[in-house]
Amino acid sequence: MTYFVIFLGVCFMLGVLAVASNPSPYYGVVGLVVASVMGCGWLVSLGVSFVSLALFLVYLGGMLVVFVYSVSLAADPYPEAWGDWRVVGYGLGFILVVFVGAVLGGFVDFWKAGVVTVDGGGVSFVRLDFSGVAVFYSWGVGLFLVAGWGLLLVLFVVLELVRGLSRGAIRAV
Amino acid sequence: MSPLHFSFYSAFTFSGLGLAFHRTHLISALLCLESMMLSMFIPLSIWPVENQTPSFTLVPILMLAFSACEAGTGLAMLVASARTHGSDHLHNLNLLQC
Repeated sequence: MTYFVIFLGVCFMLGVLAVASNPSPYYGVVGLVVASVMGCGWLVSLGVSFVSLALFLVYLGGMLVVFVYSVSLAADPYPEAWGDWRVVGYGLGFILVVFVGAVLGGFVDFWKAGVVTVDGGGVSFVRLDFSGVAVFYSWGVGLFLVAGWGLLLVLFVVLELVRGLSRGAIRAV
Repeated sequence: MSPLHFSFYSAFTFSGLGLAFHRTHLISALLCLESMMLSMFIPLSIWPVENQTPSFTLVPILMLAFSACEAGTGLAMLVASARTHGSDHLHNLNLLQC
């Protein structure tokens, strides 16, 4: 089980590497999907399944769907593939920078292999993440209202950015 | 550093480097921003598990809400640049070039 969780962590890293060194945004989106699936699996292995499901719904089901059709708007009709030498060079360069920096900085110590988890709170058998997110609606209601207001505001921000016409620097034509 | 901590630390660094070395498309830079948000969400979710403080679980949810706002704004700028310049190639964004 430990090795399975480490495998999830390694695949998470490889997915993000695929996003960073993508030959074309289509492959970047695939890397992001793989990374978020591995990250969600890792969170489930720790016991916090609620935030993992929230990540799946909001991130994959909401944000990535919007990203995918924006990629279809904006990307090339004839994309490069993974075998291009520049893409391989970018990927190897990123790996080299991160691993050499980690080894030199003394960050790497592969003896310890896991994190502890918790599934209850003393005598009450409430799940950690359910009770934690419930705080968002009781004591953290101010933050909840701020986040809702921010999300509403972003709708108008997007409207103004896209409309433009002759106002604003982005739509200067 | 345990290998799991190292994996999301290096995931954040990879996506930060990918954002710095963005190449042709604006949307590649936006995807790297999204992967930075993802690689910050995962450790923020692990923090309440490791330190056994359940009330911290609201921080990754809040971060997800604001990351959705940021993704929407970035995509709106992508659409605006695609409407103005015809594509989202970064060498078209040269209004400040002398």
